[in-house]
Amino acid sequence: MAGIRLENINKKFGKTEVLHQVNLEIGDGEFVVLVGPSGCGKSTLLRLVAGLEDITAGNIFIGDALMNRIEPQHRNIAMVFQNYALYPHKNVRENIIFGLKRAHAPKDVIESRLSKVVNILGLEDFLARKPAQLSGGQRQRVAMGRALVRDAKVFLFDEPLSNLDAKLRNQMRSEIRRIHREYQTTSVYVTHDQVEAMTLGERVVVIRDGYIEQQGTPMEIYLHPDNIFVATFIGAPSMNILDARLFDGYVELEGCKLVMENGTPGQHRELPKTGLPVKLGIRPDFFIDRRHAGDGEALAVIHNARIDLIEPLGFDKELDVQIGSQLMKVRLDLRTQATEGDTIDLCVDMRRTHLFDIDTGQRLQ
Amino acid sequence: MLGKRTWVENGLLAAAIFVVVAFCLFPFVQILSTSLKHQFDWGNPSLIPVKLNWNAYGELLGIRSAEQVDVPDSVKRLLENPSISESQRRKILDRYQTTSDVFPFLRYFLNTFMLSASAAAVSLCLSVFGAYALSRLRFTGQTVIQRSILFVYMVGGVLLMVPLYQMSVKIGLAKSVGGSLVSLLLIYIIQTLPVSLYMLGNYFRTIPYALEEAAAMDGCSRVEAVFVIIIPLSVPMLMTVFVYCFIIAWNEFLFASVFLKQFHQWHTLPLALQTLFMSKNAIWDRIMAASMLTMIPVVVCFLFAMRNLTGGLAEGGVKE
Amino acid sequence: MDLSIAQRESRLGWRFIAPSVGVIGLLIIYPILYNIYLSFFDVKLTGDKLFIGLANYQRLLSDAAFYGAAITTVLYLVGTVVGSTIIGLMVALLMNMTFPFRNLVRTLILLPYFAPVISVVFGWQFIFDPVNGIYNHLVVDVLKISSSRHSLIGNPNSALGVVILFDIWKHFPLSYMLIISKLQSINKDQYEAAAMDGCGPIGRFVHVTLPELYFVLGTLMLLRMIWNLNKFEDVFLLAPNVETLPIFTYYAAFTGIIDQGFAASISVVQFGVLALLIYFYVKKVLKW
Ligand SMILES: Nc1ncnc2c1ncn2[C@@H]1O[C@H](COP(=O)(O)OP(=O)(O)OP(=O)(O)O)[C@@H](O)[C@H]1O
Ligand SMILES: [Mg+2]
Repeated sequence: MAGIRLENINKKFGKTEVLHQVNLEIGDGEFVVLVGPSGCGKSTLLRLVAGLEDITAGNIFIGDALMNRIEPQHRNIAMVFQNYALYPHKNVRENIIFGLKRAHAPKDVIESRLSKVVNILGLEDFLARKPAQLSGGQRQRVAMGRALVRDAKVFLFDEPLSNLDAKLRNQMRSEIRRIHREYQTTSVYVTHDQVEAMTLGERVVVIRDGYIEQQGTPMEIYLHPDNIFVATFIGAPSMNILDARLFDGYVELEGCKLVMENGTPGQHRELPKTGLPVKLGIRPDFFIDRRHAGDGEALAVIHNARIDLIEPLGFDKELDVQIGSQLMKVRLDLRTQATEGDTIDLCVDMRRTHLFDIDTGQRLQ
Repeated sequence: MLGKRTWVENGLLAAAIFVVVAFCLFPFVQILSTSLKHQFDWGNPSLIPVKLNWNAYGELLGIRSAEQVDVPDSVKRLLENPSISESQRRKILDRYQTTSDVFPFLRYFLNTFMLSASAAAVSLCLSVFGAYALSRLRFTGQTVIQRSILFVYMVGGVLLMVPLYQMSVKIGLAKSVGGSLVSLLLIYIIQTLPVSLYMLGNYFRTIPYALEEAAAMDGCSRVEAVFVIIIPLSVPMLMTVFVYCFIIAWNEFLFASVFLKQFHQWHTLPLALQTLFMSKNAIWDRIMAASMLTMIPVVVCFLFAMRNLTGGLAEGGVKE
Repeated sequence: MDLSIAQRESRLGWRFIAPSVGVIGLLIIYPILYNIYLSFFDVKLTGDKLFIGLANYQRLLSDAAFYGAAITTVLYLVGTVVGSTIIGLMVALLMNMTFPFRNLVRTLILLPYFAPVISVVFGWQFIFDPVNGIYNHLVVDVLKISSSRHSLIGNPNSALGVVILFDIWKHFPLSYMLIISKLQSINKDQYEAAAMDGCGPIGRFVHVTLPELYFVLGTLMLLRMIWNLNKFEDVFLLAPNVETLPIFTYYAAFTGIIDQGFAASISVVQFGVLALLIYFYVKKVLKW
C-alpha cells in the first residue's frame, strides 16, 4: 500500500486543457472520492493515476516513486471500470485470477485469495459462468473481485455503480465500505453522484471544469462549502441561493431582517451603509416552521413565504415557496399543517447559513 | 409489411424466386449432372443421367486406377517372359501408365491446398498486427499508410503481372520450382493482405478499449494484450478472414499460369484444370468431376464462414 | 523506459505495421513504379532489357488491336456493371420479401460468387457446347430459331455476350448482398409514411427505396468498374478469344512474340485509367 501525490498536474487533449494545476495528496489507506459534474475531468484524473493517459505537465507519485513514465502494467494498481470491462471469453474464475496469474503468483496463494474474495462478494455459484450469463449486479461484483484479489497498492474506481439500479447501488455502497474497512487499501473513487460521495468518502474532492474546488471530509464540505458551486452541488435537494443585502449585524432578504447572533461575517471589511449585495445560501433542511420552533433558540424569521407546491415525501414534506420575487425549496417535517396557497413563517438558524460574494461566488469570511 | 399478398401475387413471387434460384444454380447442376454421365448420354438435355457413371470421380481420387493405356503386344509378350524380375516388370508397366492421360488430382489438390493455406496463414499473421496498429494505435504516418492500403486494395493482379515476373526473373526465382513457388506464395500473400487488414481492422474497432485497459491493469503489456484479449476475442473473425484469403488463393489462375506453367508436377488446380481442358484428352465427365472436386472445399469453407463472411463483405471488405 | 504513452504507441504501431508495409511496398508499390520503368524498354522474357524510349507507346497508339481491346473492354464494362447492378437490385428487392425457406434461398444465390471461376467456367462451356450443350438444343431442336448449331463461345463477337452474361451471373450476388443489407436498414416507418401520402408500390420504391440506395448503388457500380477493368480469369478461362485489355496484355507478355516492355506500357495506360477511377471513388464515395 502507498499514498498518492499529484503535483501541478496538467492535462491537455490536443489544444483543450481539461485539468489545470491539480494538486492532491492522498494518504496511505485513505478512501478519497472525486466528485463533480459530467465532463469535469474526474475520469481523466483517475486514468492519469492509472497510467492510461499521458500527463501533459506535473508529477505523479505513488508511495515515493515517480510514476510519470511508468507503464500501467508496472504500477501495481487495480481498477474497476464503469462498464466492468470483464473479459468476455473467460469465465468468472478466470476473470478474477487473471491478474494473479500474470504476476506468476503460486497456486496456493491464488486459491486462497480467490476463495476469500469469492466469499466476501458471494460469487460462489457463478465461478464457471461467462460474464454474458451474469446480471449487472453480479458483473459488478466480479469486477470488484478482480481488483480485490490482487495485492495492489492502489484501487481505482470509475463510477462502478452507475449502471446499477437504486436498490442494488445502496447495497453495493455499504459493501464497498465494508471491504475498504477490511482491506484498508488506498482508494480513489470517481462518481458524479454526490450521495455516493458523501456516504463513501473519508475525504471528498469536488472538481469542476478541471479545477479542484474544495476538498475535505463529507461533513466539512456539507457544512462549510467554500463557494456557491460546492454549496449547490453537494446536498440534495440543493442549497437555496438567494439575493440578499448584508448590513452590520443582519442580512436583509426581501424585506425581512435576518439578525445574526455572532455579528456579521466579514466584519473586518468596510461595509457600505447601504448594504452590500450578497448571495445568501440556506439548505432546504435547515428551515423550521415557526409554529414548531423552540423558544430558546435564537432564530431569524422569514415572514409570509407563500407556498406554491407541497410534495409529501413520507416523513418530510418538500415545499416550493416564494418570498418576494425569489423561489426556494424548503423541507419541513410532517407536523406542518400548511397547504398550497397558504403563507408561512419560516425560521432559520443564521449560523447554518452561508454568505457568498455576488461576483466570485466565494464564501465571505 | 403493407397489407397481405393475394394468391396471384404469391404465385408471381414464387415464380420469380424459382427463376432466380434456377439461374444461379443451373450451371452447378449441369456440372454435377455431366460429371455423372456416360459419354453416350452427354448430348441428352435431361439433367438426370440415364446410367450413373462414377468412373471420373474414382479415377480422380485414385480409388480406381486410370484405364490402362494399351500396352503394345510386343511389350506384353516381353512381360510374359519369366526371366524378368517383378521390379523390372513394374518399371516397364509404369512407363505406359504415367502418360499424360493420368490426371493426378490429389497431387494438384495438395499443391493448391498447401499454397493457399500458407498464403492465408501468413497473410493472417501479418494482418493481425497490421490491423491492430491501424485500428487501435496512433502513429505518425498512419493516415498515409491507411490510404495507400485502400488504394492498393483496388489495384488488380494484371497490372502487376509483368513487373512481378520481371522481378522474380531478375533475382533468379523464376528459374527453379522452389523459387517459382515462393514467388507465387508471396504474390498470394499480397493479394490477400489488403483485404485482411481491412476486414480485421473493422472488427478490432468493435472490441471495447476498456478490455485492453483492464488487461493493462492486470499486468499485461500492450503486446501481451493483443495475444490474451484481442486474438481470443476475434477467433471467429480470424477464421472468416482466413477462409476468405484461402478462397482467393485457391481460385487464382493468372499468376499460377505465369509462374508454374512449365512445372507440371506443381500445377495448382485451376491451372491443371485449364491444361486438362485444353489437352486432347478433354473428356467432359472428367473435367466436370474435377470441377466439382475443386469447388467442394470452397463451398464447404463458404458455408462454414457464411455468417461472418457475408456480414464482413456487406461492410465493404471485398476484394476481387 | 522514459517514453510517453503516445511515443510508445507510435513505436509499437510502426513495429506492427512494418511487415505489412514492407510487403505491400515491395510487392505492390515498387512493381507499379517498376512497371512504368519497364515500359520504356524492350524487355525479353529472360530479363534482358534495351532502352527504347517511347517506342512502346508509339507502337501502342498505332496498334489497331489495342483499340479493339479498348472497345471490347468498354463493352464488357458497360454490360457487366449495368447488368450485375440491375439484377442485384431486383434480386435484393425480391429477397427482402418474406417467403418460406428464405434463408436457404439467400444462401444458395451467393454460390456463384464464391465458387471458383475455374470450376464454373466448364459448366458454362458445356451449356454452350455446339455438340452437347443445352443452349443449342433449345435454339435448334426445341425453338427452331436457328437451323444449324453454333459455337457461341468460338466466335469472338458472340463470345463477348456470353462472357458478359457469365460475369453478371458470377457477380450479381455481391451487388445483391450489399444492396439487401442497406435495404434492411431502411426504416419501415418511411414506407408507412409514403403509403399514407398515397404512394403505391412503385411510388414507394421511387420515393423511399431508391434515394436510400443511391449511395450503395453508386459505390457498387464504381467498384465493379474498377474490379472488372482488372478482370482476367473470368474472361480468359471462359473465352480466351475475347480480348479485353488484361487479356491483351497477357498475350503480349507471355505468348507468341513475347514483348514484356510493350505489355508494361499497356499496363501503364490501364493503370492510369484505374487510378482515375480510384481517385474518383475515394473523393466521391469515401469522401476523405
Ligand atoms: N480522449 C479524449 N480526447 C479528447 N477529449 C477528451 C478525451 N477524453 C476526455 N476528453 C474530454 O475531457 C473532459 C473530461 O473528460 P472526463 O472523461 O474526465 O470527464 P468525467 O468527469 O469523467 O465525466 P463523466 O462523469 O461524464 O464520466 C471532457 O470534456 C471530455 O470531452
Ligand atoms: Mg467519467
